[in-house]
Amino acid sequence: MVELRHVKALSSMAQSCSGIGDCRTAYRQALGWYGVCPMVDHTPGFEPYYARGKIRAIRGILEGKIEPSEGFARVMYHCTTCGACKAVCHVSGVAQITWPTSKYIDHTRLFEAVRTDLVELGLGPMPRHREILDWARREHNPYMEKHEDKFRWASGRELRSRADVFFFTGCTGPYRMPAVCQDVYDVAAAAGVSLAVSPDEWCCGSIALRVGDRGLAETLARHNLEVFEKAEAKTIVTHCAGCYRTIKKDYPEILGELPFEVLHVTELLARLVEDGRLELTEGELTVTYHDPCHLGRHCEVYEEPRRLIGSAPGVKLVEMKRNRSGALCCGAGGGVKSAFPELALSIARERLAQAKETGARLLLSACPFCERNLSDAGAANPSLKVQVKDVSSFLKERLKMK
Amino acid sequence: MDKVLRALEDAVGSDYVSVEDFVLYTYSRGIEGALEEVMPEYVVRVKSTDEVSKVVKVANRYKVPIVPRGGGCCLMGGSKPIEKGGIVMDLTGMNRIIDINLEAMTAAVECGITWAKLNTLLFEKGYYTGTLGPGSGMSATVGGGLSHHSVGGGGAAMYGTCSEHCVALEVVLPQGDVVQTGSNASIYIKESFCRFGLGPDILSIFLGDNGIFGIKTKATLEIFPRPDYHECKTFLLENPGDVNAAKIWLEWRRMGSLGIYDSQYLPPLTVVAYSGFLTEFPFIPAWKGIDKGILWYTIEAYTEEELEEKVKLADEVVRRHGGEELGEKIEDGNIARWHYEKHGFWQNWHALWNIAGPGCVPCSTEHHVPIHRMPDMFRAFEKWEEENRSLLEKAGAFSGVSTAILCGHTAVEVDSGLVVWDRPELRSLNKQLWINQMHMVIRNGGMPYMTGELYSQSLVDAAAFPEPYFELLRTLKRTLDPNGIISPGKYRL
Repeated sequence: MVELRHVKALSSMAQSCSGIGDCRTAYRQALGWYGVCPMVDHTPGFEPYYARGKIRAIRGILEGKIEPSEGFARVMYHCTTCGACKAVCHVSGVAQITWPTSKYIDHTRLFEAVRTDLVELGLGPMPRHREILDWARREHNPYMEKHEDKFRWASGRELRSRADVFFFTGCTGPYRMPAVCQDVYDVAAAAGVSLAVSPDEWCCGSIALRVGDRGLAETLARHNLEVFEKAEAKTIVTHCAGCYRTIKKDYPEILGELPFEVLHVTELLARLVEDGRLELTEGELTVTYHDPCHLGRHCEVYEEPRRLIGSAPGVKLVEMKRNRSGALCCGAGGGVKSAFPELALSIARERLAQAKETGARLLLSACPFCERNLSDAGAANPSLKVQVKDVSSFLKERLKMK
Repeated sequence: MDKVLRALEDAVGSDYVSVEDFVLYTYSRGIEGALEEVMPEYVVRVKSTDEVSKVVKVANRYKVPIVPRGGGCCLMGGSKPIEKGGIVMDLTGMNRIIDINLEAMTAAVECGITWAKLNTLLFEKGYYTGTLGPGSGMSATVGGGLSHHSVGGGGAAMYGTCSEHCVALEVVLPQGDVVQTGSNASIYIKESFCRFGLGPDILSIFLGDNGIFGIKTKATLEIFPRPDYHECKTFLLENPGDVNAAKIWLEWRRMGSLGIYDSQYLPPLTVVAYSGFLTEFPFIPAWKGIDKGILWYTIEAYTEEELEEKVKLADEVVRRHGGEELGEKIEDGNIARWHYEKHGFWQNWHALWNIAGPGCVPCSTEHHVPIHRMPDMFRAFEKWEEENRSLLEKAGAFSGVSTAILCGHTAVEVDSGLVVWDRPELRSLNKQLWINQMHMVIRNGGMPYMTGELYSQSLVDAAAFPEPYFELLRTLKRTLDPNGIISPGKYRL
């Protein structure tokens, strides 16, 4: 009998699943729930494609009824780890009523644990993940790019290596969406905040953690901690929601208590706007906002991006039906975009259709990884095309020049 | 290649058939607490009536049984095979709304849609299905609900069971023919509106049938305008609370329509458990220290004046029987307000899982009794628990009634059962206790409605059906399903 040792340590989570299955497609208008798991409608949709079935299959292995297999592994990687299942699992919707199961299960933690076991068993991660992780070991990024090219985005800017606030640029921004890095840097500078950056920064390790390579994630985390310490940073700012979740929630588990504050750029900029350090120009525009899962459901940052958007005079924010903790994932997370690109795009198309329904011409988000997947889906489907932009870029366009 | 597999792939496409063990395993149980998993040999996920029909014909050709499955929420083993092998047919992919007809006041849907999805879309139009399906309505499907006479997910006091509001049903019969019933039985009726006409009510044999007579693919349900006004109140009841609750409900019923949309009674043990007695944290902190039963109601009305009058009349009855109102807010412990305003009706029994910690699951013996007989059933449970004390202790199990729900004009749904530890070494003992309690309920005149595997077999084993009735049931089954293809084993058929 094969042992899943990481899952076994969390076996009470698996045992606590009632099997009711709200994690498939719960609707509950009073709480803003209009569906849950992004996998259900974009895959064959058998039970193991969503949380209840995944947990039941995991229990089957723990109880020796079935063995892990390649097929099992493949379906376990059909999950963006978006956390929508956890957001509805026995959740009463009011603070005064707590149903017990909601206290006992952390779905994404359990799914990441099973992936760690699959890696140890040689059944995971998926072939494309292996290529990416091998590259990340050598060049410290998952994009098959050379490490030394990471800071091309900064051309023409005088970068500081030490400052109170350290800008952790991540990988998607520098290698695939350099303008977003530039915009974050410039908007902060306009508010009088000089950000430190480091050419020694490595991938945060999110992709490694999500697909189950904990060893690589730990190596990357330890290196980055040294970089942060060298920069004498009091605050680490990220613009990628994945980096944010990883540094804020996973690093303390790997490294212990962190000697600095971790902020998403929307949290930093919201403070700067509230302090009157950023002035924005007026202009009528209707926009909508996509909550990145790692920023929203994982770290509960919902209001800062909205406050930032709302601070631009003349801008009207219209919500998609699925927003905040009920938001539909963009489809890219948890290693899905790299291993199953068509699946990621299919989910993104559904999200774009929801954005289009609002009548907004502009879809803002706060994570370059989401923005990239949504843009890719839009580019291939002109009927769904809604312009996708990062909140920082949106703000930069609206900066009142002094 | 397996010829059945090849035929199934031809019927639904190869992506929608699975024989992988980890997939089969996930269809080997519903949410019943103490049954062994029983794996099918194939799982198919269908997308249309035509596919359902094709799969059924394949099953007949090769004599392979089928268990139709909606949300997989049956508490009695109804959505899994009873014997190893066969096909589990997952209908959750058939989840479209076909038509919402506000003129005829009906909604036509594919049966794999959930009660919550349908009602959420109806709420937006100011309507609902009255009875909102079972307490697991965010996952449970319309087809599953109609197969179980489901109730408990809201609206039970006013609208009764969900079956009462079905006016047309499309069913794939056990040999693959597709039949339209209710209004749709006549080709000249273009809009379904009523099932009582055109001769005998053939539709009804498919309601509450636990999927033994066919596979429901499309249903048309009555829909009702959702009133603009409501009041939600929660009361402490003097002991014996069950006696007082029954008196209150009987008086309400004798007063005519008071607009009671829902009313439930929670005995003292449930109240104590919900206040956190069994675990390290309280579920409803406002109930801490309460040692009485709780009764709550939701009243709906179409005008403010109507609401005021109905609330006044209902409250007078409650007070006369020793009811003491808790505060009006949810934080005061007013669970009725959460139930209605936060759509807690679809989480009615979620508290029972892990109620005493991880791995603790309910084994339901829920059933209907007449309102005036509810206290008798409570006493029957106390007697049963006394008689089975040593076995309950050996299993570390709890027994009792968690909630009683006013259901339709004449009935109470008694949500009784066991809470057991779901451990392989305890399953046999848990099952023994569970079946034993089902027999007690049946012999005391309780009327099971969600029968699945265990209650349907217990009805037969307890000799509840006289021979002429059971022979009629057998004859119907043999006539419709001569090969014994659909849901074999239920009712020992």
